[in-house]
Amino acid sequence: MTNEPDNMKRRDFMRRSLLTIPAVSIGSSVAFNAYADSGVPALSDYQPMFFEDSQWQFILAATDRLIPRDEHGPGALEAHVPVFIDKELAGSYGRADDWYMEGPFHVDADEALGYQLPHTPADIYRLGIRATNDYCRQRFDRDFTALSRDDQETVLRALEKGTPDFARLGVQDLPSKTFFSFLLQNTKEGFLADPIYGGNRHMVGWKLLGFTGARASFREWVDQYDRDYPLGPVSLSGERG
Amino acid sequence: MINQLMYAGGLALMLTATVVQADEQTKGHGDQDTIERGAYLSRAGDCVACHTAPGGDDFAGGLGIESPFGTIYSTNITPDKQAGIGNYSEAEFAAALRQGKRADGANLYPAMPYPSYARLTDDDIHALYVYFMHGVAPNDHQPQTTDLSFPFNQRWGISGWNWLFADQKPFEPDDQDSEKINRGRYLVEGLGHCGSCHTPRGLFQQEKALNDDDGDEYLAGANLNDWLAPGLRGKGEDHLGVAGWREQDIADYLATGRNAHSAVSGEMTSVIKNSTSHMTRDDLSAIAAYLKTLPVSDETAIGSERHVSARKDSETEQQLTRADDLSEGGRLYLDNCNACHFADGRGASGVFPALAGNSQANADNPTALIHTILAGAQLPSTPERPEALMMPGFGWRLSDQEVADLATFVRQGWGNQGGTVSSEAVRKVRDSMDKREGFSGNPDTAASDTSAAQADAETASQPNVKDNEQ
Amino acid sequence: MSTTRPEVDAVIIGLGWTGSIMGMELTDAGLNVVALERGNERTKEDFLYPKPADELKYGVRLKMMQRPKQSTVTIRRNASETAVPQRHWTTFHPGDGVGGAGSHWTGVLYRATPNELALKSFADRTFEPGFLPEDMTIQDYGVTYEELEPHYDFFEKVAGLSGQAGNIQGETIEGGNPFEGPRQNPFPLSPLPRTLTDTLFTEATKKLGWHPYPYPSANVSGAWTNPYGMQLGPCNFCGFCSNYGCLNYSKASPQTCILDALKQREHFSYRTNCEVTRIVKSDDGETVKGVLYHDGEGQEIFQPAKLVILASFPLSNVRLLLLSQIGQPYDPVANTGVVGRNFSYQITGSIDMYFKRHQFNPFISAGGSGQVIDDFSPDTFDTAKHGFIGGSYIYTTQGPGGAIGAVKVPPGTPSWGSEWKKNASEHYGHHMMLGTTGTNMSYRDVYLDLDPTYTDPHGDPLLRMTYDWKDNDMRMTQFMAERMREIVAELEPDYHTENFKQVGDHFDAAKYQSTHLTGGAIMGTDPSTSVLNRYLQHWDAHNLFVMGASAFPQNMQHNPTGTVAALTYWSAKHIRERYLGNPGPLMSQG
Repeated sequence: MTNEPDNMKRRDFMRRSLLTIPAVSIGSSVAFNAYADSGVPALSDYQPMFFEDSQWQFILAATDRLIPRDEHGPGALEAHVPVFIDKELAGSYGRADDWYMEGPFHVDADEALGYQLPHTPADIYRLGIRATNDYCRQRFDRDFTALSRDDQETVLRALEKGTPDFARLGVQDLPSKTFFSFLLQNTKEGFLADPIYGGNRHMVGWKLLGFTGARASFREWVDQYDRDYPLGPVSLSGERG
Repeated sequence: MINQLMYAGGLALMLTATVVQADEQTKGHGDQDTIERGAYLSRAGDCVACHTAPGGDDFAGGLGIESPFGTIYSTNITPDKQAGIGNYSEAEFAAALRQGKRADGANLYPAMPYPSYARLTDDDIHALYVYFMHGVAPNDHQPQTTDLSFPFNQRWGISGWNWLFADQKPFEPDDQDSEKINRGRYLVEGLGHCGSCHTPRGLFQQEKALNDDDGDEYLAGANLNDWLAPGLRGKGEDHLGVAGWREQDIADYLATGRNAHSAVSGEMTSVIKNSTSHMTRDDLSAIAAYLKTLPVSDETAIGSERHVSARKDSETEQQLTRADDLSEGGRLYLDNCNACHFADGRGASGVFPALAGNSQANADNPTALIHTILAGAQLPSTPERPEALMMPGFGWRLSDQEVADLATFVRQGWGNQGGTVSSEAVRKVRDSMDKREGFSGNPDTAASDTSAAQADAETASQPNVKDNEQ
Repeated sequence: MSTTRPEVDAVIIGLGWTGSIMGMELTDAGLNVVALERGNERTKEDFLYPKPADELKYGVRLKMMQRPKQSTVTIRRNASETAVPQRHWTTFHPGDGVGGAGSHWTGVLYRATPNELALKSFADRTFEPGFLPEDMTIQDYGVTYEELEPHYDFFEKVAGLSGQAGNIQGETIEGGNPFEGPRQNPFPLSPLPRTLTDTLFTEATKKLGWHPYPYPSANVSGAWTNPYGMQLGPCNFCGFCSNYGCLNYSKASPQTCILDALKQREHFSYRTNCEVTRIVKSDDGETVKGVLYHDGEGQEIFQPAKLVILASFPLSNVRLLLLSQIGQPYDPVANTGVVGRNFSYQITGSIDMYFKRHQFNPFISAGGSGQVIDDFSPDTFDTAKHGFIGGSYIYTTQGPGGAIGAVKVPPGTPSWGSEWKKNASEHYGHHMMLGTTGTNMSYRDVYLDLDPTYTDPHGDPLLRMTYDWKDNDMRMTQFMAERMREIVAELEPDYHTENFKQVGDHFDAAKYQSTHLTGGAIMGTDPSTSVLNRYLQHWDAHNLFVMGASAFPQNMQHNPTGTVAALTYWSAKHIRERYLGNPGPLMSQG
């Protein structure tokens, strides 16, 4: 007679139904922000899942040219953009899991009708890197990664314009500027997406802009006109910058 | 699941379904009005909560109630003649409700709130009896029998306890009070058995007062295993909680689990879901009116005792609005809480509870607040307010120290007067929590991209040997 | 072989806004209702903070949207082009899953104007004979503003609409939109607080003599409990709105406004991952008898129903009607048939302005926040003088939220390298947009039919869009560009860039245009030019009702959701009050 079973029952009911947290967090009281500071390996330690080594070296160099480290702050490499791209290509995005990929493919359809190539994003990288290296060898006698920074930039500018004819290099149905547009878009994504996807490490991309990340709470700021927002970003996992 | 379905249905639908089903079984015995009244009273008494096992049929018993002496299993109270109470006469039924006596004369464990049900009128006992005999389908489910170890298996020992602590008489209205207040008092003291949780307990786990005449400890609030069952005595100035609420606020809370100030959490959630949200507005107003007649006693009240005025503490609000020179806790508040509870700590009326003046934030024991931060909360879907609003849990996102800093900030912001919270206290709560999934805002990348999630796991497990990129 | 489930009173195809509304209305009427949703379950738990605050997942990879792999459309600009599929979404974002587009929409909740609902009558009254191009096929809706007003009013309460009325029972209210139709009631809630872009826009347009008013927003300005007892909390300008589920219970959606209430109804149930492939006609030729669908396990199931409510996205509505061979398909050459006819879209344009002197903090953003002028609506000025019928609203909204899509660099900036970085850094926060959202007329050679080549995973043909921009509409948007340049001149940004379509431009499906796709299964009063009668009842099958913007005979300037919802309540009223008691055509074939 020394307890109150009714309350115990209610307590038990609540335990089972409400007052619980996901199993992943139970064992650890170390929050993700602590993890983010100490647990992410260096870029050089990263084992790519999608890229082969030579492709990986290409991505390291290319993303570094696209968003270089400079006086404005860290670049694609500090942000682990290559890690982001590797993970994306190894996953559903790379496989175009959501895309409609049935033929026939009218690869020459007007650009205004949207993407019409038979390639998944993963294919585009495999083929695009190969063709770009072929192009570099033809023009500079060496692979992209072996070029000087200036020459690498020259090549990227050529890709952006669509100058290299990949078809003549044996890669069909892939305009060089399409490869470039994927590379550039994914590089920017890796620089500015939440760190949970492997890039934007320590939210360096967000800090460059002044973007607040996942804070998502600005009611009190709507009428604070022309005032610089004083706080750094916060990520989905709670990392604070 | 069955419970959920039933809770999800409105009272009217539930009654119709039950009665129709029962009619088939009993071939029309018992008059419809009395059955429906009994069904309503059983809601008010929340019988289904204890007499239904998870996933089991309503009233078929078998819910295991853990106690330090063993598990007490609730009984089958359907009219099945073998497994249930089908052989009970009305007098035997009344004795069970009022005196905790089984038909065979043995004592019930006081898990059954018979000290409160002793207040029931003969008329209501009759309606409940008719409902359980004719409005509920017999169910032959034989729940596990309670088998406590000696000496707790000696049911005769309860007689002494009963003699000492359970001596309530049937309710008699007080001519001094209005009909409404008498009705409220009847519901609170009787079927509602509010005192079971909200009245502090004595040495023998007895409620220190079974009604207001018994002492001003009645409904003065109690700490229940780290959770606060706040005081319900509602007559007082400048008090937190119920005393600071209008009658309408109290009735809204009971009907919907939410009102202009607060939102239900913890153990009261199921009471609202199963019981009070199905009661009439008249009865809820009567309950509220009665509670507003009970003066707060500063000496005995728990949870509503603080003279914290709900004054706006503009300093906290200004600090959060400027968003500079923030403490760790203030920054965490902006990153995790401000979206709904806002810089003024006032939330949004009826939707997001206020933190300024919040009972969890001002409780001596921070456990409830820590629980809420770690695991989140969910309002019940009620007939009047169907939206089961959810607060995400942040246990996956915040370290023990961060939760401690955040909880401390909330307990001391906007004029709140809760104490500081240590990371050890957070650790303790975290360790005590079930390892099931709760209300997490965790962005599950695995859902969209398995390989990326695997990659996360892989990279996370790699040692951080060197970092050339810094 | 398909399995047959027990018959229900009503089956609803699609559980977005219109399906949810119909669920409430039909269960209110005592019907036993089942809804079939093609996509996944989506509950509040999916929208808990911070889950939606994930730009890559929702803003870029579009995980709230229908998967093109499951179903997409093919597009061509004219009959001589070969239509090719949208392989991933660029030009529009069709929603998916429980809540549908109602979960990821922006939250701009408008009414149509009285004249836009009767546009053909307005044109006949207003323009000289022969002014309208010969191939223009605009029509009246067949329902009037006065008839829809109570339903607009109710839905605005359901959604907690926040804003400022401009016309209450004929009285013009300062600060509201003076060109709107009369409302019986003020807005349920006051406008959202004003951003810096709002204030700049308001000042500039007032100087120009125009009439700015706050965007009517279903991102609510304060706590709100709707007629179903559902609740919304104040919008906090989180910056994750269009394309996202709301993390704050602030954006009206089926989840925040209806579904928990609907789920309490004993006679309502719903099944997710159930894709309806056919509406099955009865042998009598006058009704349908149920639907055929694939469940999540690949089983084919026949669900018999006394009443079928088609409540999916407009394109899906039209496709399902065509696949089910209900109603005569439209033939633009012979100019016969109706299903697929009068497909239209939305004409949009924008200006990006850069101000070094202003800090906008564009992450402070709500989809329904903004300021608007309606001074250049179809019926507010002499459009004939400028060579077109139609009009646009002109607006600003602060944002964009996010980062990937929010990098705004001034003209001439390289798209990568240090220069890009420098400009991205320096100009973030200093950008303000002006937008225009305008009418799109319907034309004889703009339509929907089934693609002859491409199929979905079940082997059924995809829907084909034949759509191009027309001179009338291009002249309209160019006129708006001129007006917007006047605003730019008032605001004096450091520089600005423009994005407008020109006369002679062809539809660009590689860029996002709008998700306001309308028509193809239009309502009207003449079965030879409409699929549905004015109660959204199919002319050829009286127990089939088709909801949604596929009923619009041409697209209006204002966002469609308000009118879509009002039409749904209008239809439900007639089903409940007239059809259920006496099933049969609600209008004579004439």
